[in-house]
Amino acid sequence: MSETSARPLLVDCARQQVRVIGALILRELHTRFGRRRFGYLWLFFEPLLLGGMIAVIHGSGLRGGSGIRGTFEFFSIGYVLFFAFRGMINRASSTISSNRGLLYHRQVTLPDLFFARHIIEGVACTGVMTIFTIIAVGLGSAFPDSPMKMLCALGLMVLLAQGVALVVGAVTSEWEVVERFVHAMSYLMLPFSGLFFMVEWLPGWMQDIVVWIPTVHIFELLRDGQFGDRYRATYDLSYVAGWILIPHLLGLTGLRLARQRIGLE
Amino acid sequence: MALELIDVHKSYPMNVGRKHVLRGVNAVFHKGERVGVLGRNGTGKSTLVRILGRIEAPTRGSIRASMSVSWPIGMAAGFQGALSGADNTRFIARIYDRPVQATVDYVESFAELGEYLHMPVNTYSSGMRSRLGLAISLAVEFDCLLVDEALAVGDTKFGRAFAARLRNAGLIIVTHQPSLVRQLCNRAAVLDRGTLTFYEDLDEALATYNSL
Repeated sequence: MSETSARPLLVDCARQQVRVIGALILRELHTRFGRRRFGYLWLFFEPLLLGGMIAVIHGSGLRGGSGIRGTFEFFSIGYVLFFAFRGMINRASSTISSNRGLLYHRQVTLPDLFFARHIIEGVACTGVMTIFTIIAVGLGSAFPDSPMKMLCALGLMVLLAQGVALVVGAVTSEWEVVERFVHAMSYLMLPFSGLFFMVEWLPGWMQDIVVWIPTVHIFELLRDGQFGDRYRATYDLSYVAGWILIPHLLGLTGLRLARQRIGLE
Repeated sequence: MALELIDVHKSYPMNVGRKHVLRGVNAVFHKGERVGVLGRNGTGKSTLVRILGRIEAPTRGSIRASMSVSWPIGMAAGFQGALSGADNTRFIARIYDRPVQATVDYVESFAELGEYLHMPVNTYSSGMRSRLGLAISLAVEFDCLLVDEALAVGDTKFGRAFAARLRNAGLIIVTHQPSLVRQLCNRAAVLDRGTLTFYEDLDEALATYNSL
């Protein structure tokens, strides 16, 4: 592997980046879950437990749900998406500091650290969503109207969180205090995220407000995939795309600046 | 094949103004050369190493590399403390596109870590860390090893084995220990007041360094 002073080919860079991200994924799995045989199961177990509990509490009549709101899959799968979103954003502030030692290897870039974590998150989320869907069908629910739409919603949620996570990572590398706000905000977002409601159920004036929240559109797409014609979905994917693209640009630029300022002891 | 620094300056922002660490370093390191860079504490050795390893960008000037240079191998560098030496070896083998198992086998036979290879790097002594780093970098087969104050080298069993392996590779070692330079290098330079001066004769370099 000799390096030349000429600018390397794009395809070689891409191959190197894939290699680095792959190595980072394995490393991340080892640090987070250890090398013991069932360690990886925790990746699925945590969202399964949380999503399952939320679904039982909200869907079982304790909190009084009816229609699709009373079903197991409305809350369990919705919560998995929110859980992934919140987890990615909350972990963003520690991504750089906990991997600083790896920056001694020049091919490891800051965005790679984030991409590796997010791929793990996306895979775990897909697995848990599949498990919940199977459980829901087992409990007597109808098969999802469009699994493809559900997967798209999941992908968009991961990308949305990734954009925000890149920005949070860049900002917290310079101003650590921001981390506290991020944690609080990500928690306070829960009632407004679209997890607990459909736009259609809200009074008109509230509908006009909540459509500004990008996660609301993603939850609408998810439920369109889950329940099809059983209610009227409201989503605008180009609006979500803007919320994905702009933070990505800001975050990647910010990380480029941050890389020059991060001290390696 | 070489690593070339052209008028490299590096300064860091301070509370007031900037601290100028490197002020116009020019250097060419050829493939197969074993160069010792001597510098007293606080002369910017670690900064120079990070610039040579291209993990920090110079404030001004440029670096050209037409050979593969290792990451800066030292006590702190390049490991994930919570993972074992073997896991760190696997990670590094993967990112440098080397066969994973062969690299681990080589490190196992060379680094003299015994059971510690499967313990977290956090539990290592500084000597063990540098042995791990040096062993991995020999396994990866860089054209040039970049070493920052490696304690493990010296007149030990490992040190002699390391010196023997170096015949196939180049080396840049940045240190304050003249004995290391005498043991491992065939060319030397002295870093002082932000500039680097090369000496073809080792004795001359060491004499200059000792008079600083």
